[in-house]
Amino acid sequence: MPFIDEILKYRSVSIVGLEKNTGKTESLNYIINRLPTDYFSVAVTSIGLDGESLDQVTSTAKPEITIKEGMFFGTSEKHYRERKILSELYDVSDMTTALGRVVTAKALQEGKVLLSGPSSGSALKRWMSSLNNYGIDLILVDGALSRLSTASPAISEAMVLSTGAAFSANIKDLVAGTSFIVDLINLPFFTGKETETEISSFSDLCTDAIRNHSVIGVEGALTNRLLQAVKNELIKGEKELVVNDFTRIFVSPDLYRSFIRRGGRISVRMKSKLIAVCVNPVAPNGIVLDSDLLCSTLSAAIGLPVYDIVKDREKYDF
Amino acid sequence: MTFKEIIDSPCGIRYCFDLLELQSGYARKYLLDSRMMTTAEEIEEAYASLDKFTSLVEREPSLIQNLQFRLQGLRNIYNTLTSLEEGSALDDIELFEIKHLALLGDEVKQLFSRAEISNVWTNFDLDNIIRILDPDGLKIGTFYVYDSYSMEVRKLRRELESDPDNEELKDRLINEEERIKRVLCNLLRPYATELTNLLHSLAELDIVISKAIQRKKESFTIPEVGNSSSFEGLFHPEVKSILAQKGKVFQKVAFRYKLGEPGIIIGANMGGKTVALKSLCLCQYLFQFGFAVPALKAEMVPVENIVFCFGDDQDQQKGLSSFAAEMLRIDRMIEMVESGAKTLALVDEPARTTNPTEGSALVSSLLRILTDCSNLSLILTTHYNVDSSARCWRVKGLVEDIEGSDRLKMDYSLTESADNEVPHEALNIARKLGVSSRWLDEATKILDTQ
Repeated sequence: MPFIDEILKYRSVSIVGLEKNTGKTESLNYIINRLPTDYFSVAVTSIGLDGESLDQVTSTAKPEITIKEGMFFGTSEKHYRERKILSELYDVSDMTTALGRVVTAKALQEGKVLLSGPSSGSALKRWMSSLNNYGIDLILVDGALSRLSTASPAISEAMVLSTGAAFSANIKDLVAGTSFIVDLINLPFFTGKETETEISSFSDLCTDAIRNHSVIGVEGALTNRLLQAVKNELIKGEKELVVNDFTRIFVSPDLYRSFIRRGGRISVRMKSKLIAVCVNPVAPNGIVLDSDLLCSTLSAAIGLPVYDIVKDREKYDF
Repeated sequence: MTFKEIIDSPCGIRYCFDLLELQSGYARKYLLDSRMMTTAEEIEEAYASLDKFTSLVEREPSLIQNLQFRLQGLRNIYNTLTSLEEGSALDDIELFEIKHLALLGDEVKQLFSRAEISNVWTNFDLDNIIRILDPDGLKIGTFYVYDSYSMEVRKLRRELESDPDNEELKDRLINEEERIKRVLCNLLRPYATELTNLLHSLAELDIVISKAIQRKKESFTIPEVGNSSSFEGLFHPEVKSILAQKGKVFQKVAFRYKLGEPGIIIGANMGGKTVALKSLCLCQYLFQFGFAVPALKAEMVPVENIVFCFGDDQDQQKGLSSFAAEMLRIDRMIEMVESGAKTLALVDEPARTTNPTEGSALVSSLLRILTDCSNLSLILTTHYNVDSSARCWRVKGLVEDIEGSDRLKMDYSLTESADNEVPHEALNIARKLGVSSRWLDEATKILDTQ
């Protein structure tokens, strides 16, 4: 079974997609199905709305989340009332979402649920710490569409990334786009003691702060404007930018690559472990990519195993 | 008047509210929605409870900690209880909420009885409610339609396990579960009032504990409810904390007033007149919402209205200048007093935004027309020389820092004074602030020629 053993090493794992319909929910179901839930206590939720049977945007069929007996799950009041399984309510929190308060329950039988958990990163963190009372070994978080914020190391220790034809129908672009994100996820830790100065994207970027320092901390987001300003100063000496984690980086791949080529460095204060990349070669508009070619090209580019979960399902089932 | 309406009063009551260590959002809402007490009996009752809890905070810190921990689980289920009372069918989530509340109430009750403290909690009979929602007697705060509620539900669930896609069985199970929930609601309905009382009592418990902790931490006192108001060691907690951050000490003051006797506070600029007024207003609100007050010792009288006219009242939306807004506010206060309601009015430098001749006439006349109102305590600060028989308090003002030295310091204490001639220390204070000496010398020259 690929990467399941790896997942069991972490307390919290988020599953994030680079685009809608990249097979995120498939990946989650795949993982849940293979977790040893008989002796391993698992909780699952999603940030925002997920698990609807029809995709709200493209109206394509979406797999529901299948919960196994004994698993805990967090969802909204509305979806709790619509659940199709027998479950025991453990908590009704005061966190609210557009679909009511977030409730926590334990499945008393296997079945399908709609997951719509806490809607913000901080609420998600609070929900996760509220589970401390129930002896949970692993928390799985289904990230909402193209929101990488759930993968922030501040929230989850490790992540599974899903990408696919819905992100780009051209294998070359898909590989380039995905490997850019993987590069950001794998940015090295900041090893220095402290930064020489701190700047933010809102600061006046013509200041001496950039010119006179080589190790620069970035408060908040790293934007194109900020990166360009630092890049312009690379001629005069080495520069290392220190960001909190990869989810704070909002720069274009081209600018990032040219900054690195010129000798610039970016490091992070917090890092989450990328466990695996899953691909879905089918796009909602009907385009189907060659799964084997996609997996091998992407794997070669990022140096990590890549799985087509739908295609490989039979192969790994036992 | 509710707490919510006065929380942004310039007297600074929000600071005291924010200091409260409330454990639940519901207690916060409950306090904000609570009405100001206006009778001595209500306030005395609230203070008796606060006093009891203050001694518990001192004697039984672990009990208090336990209670506070439990109270974190208090949720606002008022709507659920209303639905129950009105006869609506409740679903799993609502039944869970009721069970959660009943178990929370029971835990609190147990904590008090284990500590051998008898109070209102002794009267809550929650066993029947818990038995309805906890048929297996597990005392765990979770809920679902338990198998033990009916043979039928148990049978259907077992059958569904071996035949999970049987739609007819599923429908029968849903119907049976719905029937059970209706029965549970019918059984619970007679306890709806008891549950609502429990919800309120838990919120009140959270509030009184946090008031007691505040009283201890901030060295507040419980005032006596009497016929006149007097304070010893009065202070303003927010100003005190700002000064403490700067390494300075707040100079506490003494003050007293009573209904029917207007008072004026005069004194140098920066002499703490406004802070004194703010402290008096803050104390009155705290008193009438059952908090301890920031003083070493106090006696206070409940009133029906508290009016605080402070600072720049300019209201651009209504197109009023600061003068107009202030005049209208004072006018409303006069109406209130004429209607016979017991009122405490605290007015900071009335008519200061107009010329001194008319300004001082306005202040003197205000004092004169309100002198005989037995239902009013009026205290105002002013820089005008007013012609009035009102009781006059004077800020001591600039005094020698160390005897015999030239250095001056501000003495903020208030002393009663027979003469109400206002002090002339503005230039000295401006000089102490480091204001341009060219300007101040010129001012001195003008004063000398007068």
